[in-house]
Amino acid sequence: MPRPTPNTITLSIDGREIQAPENAMLADAAKLADVEIPVFCYEPKLGQPVGACRMCLVEIEGIPKLQTACSTAVKDGMIVHTQSERARVAQQAVVEFLLINHPLDCPVCDKGGECPLQDITFGWGGGQSRFIEPKRHFRKPLELSPLIAIDRERCILCYRCVRFAQEISEDYQLILLERGAHSFVGTFDGHPYVAPFSGNIIELCPVGALTSRAYRFRARPWEIEGAGTLCTLCPAQCNVTLTVRDERVLRVLARQHDEVDDGWLCDKGRFAYQAVHVDERITAPMIRDGGELREVSWERALSEASSALRRAGARTAALAGAGASNEEGLLLGRLLRDTLGSPHLDSRPTGAVSLDDWRALSAPALSATVADLEFAHAVLVLDCEPVDDAPILELRIRKGVRRRHVKLAVATARPSALDPSGSHLRFAPGRGAELASALAAALRGEDAQAAAQAAGTTAEEVAALASMLREAGEEVVVLYGERLLDDDGGQALLELADALALATHGGAGLIGIPDAANGRGLREAGVLPNGGPGLREAPLESGRATPAIAEGLRNGELVALYLLSVDPLRELPDRAGWDVALEHASTVIAHAAFLTDGIREHATVVFPAEAAAEKEGTVTHPDGRVQRLRPAIARQGAVRAEWSILAELAARLGAPADVLSGAAASTQLFEAVPMYAGLTLEELGGGGVRWPEREQAGALPAPSAVNPAEPRKPRALAKARGGKLIAGSYRSIWAGPEVAASPALAFLHPHQRVEISPADAHRLGLADGVEMAVADATGTQIRARVAVRDGIPAGSAFLQRAIATDSAERLRGETIEIVAIADPPRAPPDADRAVPADSDSVAEAVA
Amino acid sequence: MSPTTILLADIDEPGLATLEVYERRGGYQAMRKALAMEPAAVVAELDASGLRGRGGAGFPAGRKAAFLPQGDMDRYLVCNADESEPGTFKDRELLQKSPHMLIEGIVIAAHGARVNHAFIYIRGEYEAQARILDAALAEAAAAGYIGEHILGGDFSCSLVLHRGAGAYICGEETGLLDSLEGKRGNPRLKPPFPAIQGLYQGPTLINNVETLSTMPHIIRMGGAEYAKLGVSGSAGTKIVSVSGHVQRPGNYEIELGTPSREIIFGLAGGPPEGRTVKLWFPGGSSSPVLTAADLDVPYDFDSLAKAGTMLGSGAIIVVDDSTPVLDVALKLAKFYRHESCGKCTPCREGTNWTVRMLERIAAGEATPMDLDIMASVQEHIIGNCLCVLGDAMAMPISSMIVKFREELESHMESQQLAGAA
Repeated sequence: MPRPTPNTITLSIDGREIQAPENAMLADAAKLADVEIPVFCYEPKLGQPVGACRMCLVEIEGIPKLQTACSTAVKDGMIVHTQSERARVAQQAVVEFLLINHPLDCPVCDKGGECPLQDITFGWGGGQSRFIEPKRHFRKPLELSPLIAIDRERCILCYRCVRFAQEISEDYQLILLERGAHSFVGTFDGHPYVAPFSGNIIELCPVGALTSRAYRFRARPWEIEGAGTLCTLCPAQCNVTLTVRDERVLRVLARQHDEVDDGWLCDKGRFAYQAVHVDERITAPMIRDGGELREVSWERALSEASSALRRAGARTAALAGAGASNEEGLLLGRLLRDTLGSPHLDSRPTGAVSLDDWRALSAPALSATVADLEFAHAVLVLDCEPVDDAPILELRIRKGVRRRHVKLAVATARPSALDPSGSHLRFAPGRGAELASALAAALRGEDAQAAAQAAGTTAEEVAALASMLREAGEEVVVLYGERLLDDDGGQALLELADALALATHGGAGLIGIPDAANGRGLREAGVLPNGGPGLREAPLESGRATPAIAEGLRNGELVALYLLSVDPLRELPDRAGWDVALEHASTVIAHAAFLTDGIREHATVVFPAEAAAEKEGTVTHPDGRVQRLRPAIARQGAVRAEWSILAELAARLGAPADVLSGAAASTQLFEAVPMYAGLTLEELGGGGVRWPEREQAGALPAPSAVNPAEPRKPRALAKARGGKLIAGSYRSIWAGPEVAASPALAFLHPHQRVEISPADAHRLGLADGVEMAVADATGTQIRARVAVRDGIPAGSAFLQRAIATDSAERLRGETIEIVAIADPPRAPPDADRAVPADSDSVAEAVA
Repeated sequence: MSPTTILLADIDEPGLATLEVYERRGGYQAMRKALAMEPAAVVAELDASGLRGRGGAGFPAGRKAAFLPQGDMDRYLVCNADESEPGTFKDRELLQKSPHMLIEGIVIAAHGARVNHAFIYIRGEYEAQARILDAALAEAAAAGYIGEHILGGDFSCSLVLHRGAGAYICGEETGLLDSLEGKRGNPRLKPPFPAIQGLYQGPTLINNVETLSTMPHIIRMGGAEYAKLGVSGSAGTKIVSVSGHVQRPGNYEIELGTPSREIIFGLAGGPPEGRTVKLWFPGGSSSPVLTAADLDVPYDFDSLAKAGTMLGSGAIIVVDDSTPVLDVALKLAKFYRHESCGKCTPCREGTNWTVRMLERIAAGEATPMDLDIMASVQEHIIGNCLCVLGDAMAMPISSMIVKFREELESHMESQQLAGAA
């Protein structure tokens, strides 16, 4: 739908004539005249102003009463006085009112020094209070949640946190209790406020009422520095400012970028910085010696690695994932292809996608932006769960639905947190591509019966979704999970894009959420078995995709594996197969931050991975925005830049030593990837550049041939029969070693649960909460707690991926059975749980 | 008795709350007449009548109805029956004794404003009245006076009775809307005004019980005829609830412009034998107080405004010389502190602060300087709040400090002397 394009009007503020967009709020327009109007409750990110704090009262000529600048839209010819006698008296009065029950404990308050209440008191207050009665008292501080402390005496009841929970995250957990002077912020029943986005209220709070329990008493504002960079814990790549003191990250704040994150962060991004500074982080190179990994000098590790690679030569394979940068991806590709002569590298966990599909899916015309999610006529969430896969995008979708009436459709196998915000369709786990085909057929007006059945849904449901999308309008954004592209799913998605004519409408398009945080960047840097940098033809013949690499290691065709921020045992399907593959590999070189299972048991050389806070380079957002990582702290311990490790190894193996700095690595990337040609780090600056909007986007190779003559054949659908359920899996926002290693977040690190429908629970006699075993067809079992969930389609079951113990990757095949726990009970928990069960002891150790 | 009674003319007719008696007394004829008129003509009659809202703000009723944007959206009418202003009990009598008059008025107003969904929001404490209203609604629905195709015509209007849960702030129109929507009853920022964006974001006409109950009479008499009653700027009759230190407290319908003395002394009998009027609230507890010197002010919107106070809800509370002004102030401030919703700063903090200061005065721990601070706090509240609840405390308190400063100071002095002794 059309973006608002306001007219410009002229008004006068404190005698200065300024131009401002029509209908801008006066508080915002005043900034254009360099006039600051103090506010507490007003925060444009929270939506409509509420005018509650009354701090921004100003005098407007022609209006008898003072008006709140936060809620008054500017009009042409308006004459405003923010410093008239009347306005000043009112502003002083509000400050006085706010302070009468405020404890003024600034010397011991975390907010002191960066506190809007302090600043406004100094700037607009009267300097003296006439209040001599006893102040209001509350018990303090209390745990609002394990992450957030609440001090109700400091609270000025501005409503920001409550509005966030009501209107942004829509978790509706925070409320105002009691009324009048007894009002206080709390949750229903005093239940802890635990939610994926809860930490944002700390940043929203204009006083020290809501503080981070992880940051409390760690620093004062004059001892810290802010350093802007990115969070690379998930593909959303939110912009952040790190609070740094003595080369340690003490806090993560949002660095508002309206095209990326809207100024919000998820709690993982906000608190997982702690994992940078825990003892269990790998901060020195290691080699396996007598079966154990032990720390060695860099020289020893590099020579060990280079000689192993020299021996393996073209029988080396490589995987890259997580937050590996574009530069690292490029250098990894060069090391493998140019230096070792091996084409076997991949950055996806599952099967290959044809190079043509990648090219077609990356086409600028098909590429939607994050902001398009907010302004589209309709958004289709297809086979992904935004809150788990790229959390901040969920808030954007909610914003679009709430404020711009975007029509939302959720087509997923597993019930989504976004279901209540729109219409939804359920299909069988793993059948996203079939659903896309069926939907495309329905949109074209063809018979979708067979395709719908193959997707595990009905033609009627698909038809309803199709007509909802058609009626909503032309601008449709499809947000899909990239696992959907397996087994030629790309064809189905392109069919759908064609049926919706996404390429022909600005504001319409696709956004694919990859598994790895920088999945798109790694792909474009050439970490693909079948494509080189810039999605050009691979310089060598096509190599093996991830599953085939495992196969090659098992059958001895490959002997060495280079892991750039990937632990196959932790993140890739078929853990048992990978276990064998890694066992067979004579060399496993890994860049890793934690000794997770695969690294601990199989790595022969371990290089410490940089944290995002230490890294320099670029990454590419799922919407094509190339963004810059800037080092915020010195690398901890003996950590070295990972690009330099890759460059050094290549040099030792005979490649020209032409990458001598991080900036040089970026330059080489921009030269190697035609769509990035001409970019500079300066141009990327703090906001990044979306390459699909650049002239050089034309350098993206077109799909080489016409689409395959044969349309994609739907895969047969497994049947849930008897005790067998079709298994789907998902990766929780809280999965991942960073969460487990961060003392503040460890309590959220998930344990396995098997989600089933109430009907199946009834049929199988399973009660919610019981501990059971989940077995695959081969008899492999994991433990899981039964979670009976409304909305799960009968016949489907869902398990979590990428968790430390009992992860879904341990099971094979499409169906599972829930059985009694066999005797003897399971083996001792995997030792890769970075944090012992008693996380308090770690918290103390870190403190 | 004032010669012209309209609303209360039949009020003591036995069984008036039943449809049968109400119709026998000519009820629902005005509705028939109105439904035969064009909506615009109905609004024109309201406009011509000069009727000003009887809930407290005194906004011209016809103009308010005309504010509702036309077009294809859901529009709502809400009858504010959350009569919570201390001293006010006029709506209670109307609801209890003549519920059909209100229903008839609602249908007329709904037709005029082209509204198809109407609500009555009645205060929680009016349980008996809600039961009576419920029965009346059932009768009206059975007779086809509300619901689908009223009188078999094209006009339909649902009418739902909703009981509040006892918060004063829910009588404030936007707080009422939030409460009616099932939320915490907090006032909303205005603009947008409810006429543009009210209940469920739709254009909403909100009127008081008495305002709506007057509508059948305006249609019956014709707006121009109704406008002849009362005085210029304050047309018609008004029910005045007189309470406090008077011999005959109760509801009296008067023609606007009647001298206040005639109401307080003539109708309500004045203070008990041997007592004199010390102060009186002319329009509910939120209105700045007047003294015995003001008894000859004509009781109408403009004259009272000129006297520095307001007609408000039309509730006269008389306080005689037996009661210290401090007691009145403290009682009043405590009420508003208790009812402040807490959303905006000056009201939340100011009401609390005022109570604390008054308590200190009562305890003999204050000096005349505290009166200055208290007066200044009231000034800082007035006009600076999100809704008028803060003003509702600050205006009368302010007026008491000005008009009874001497008494308050001598109270402090005597307390201190007592303390010293």
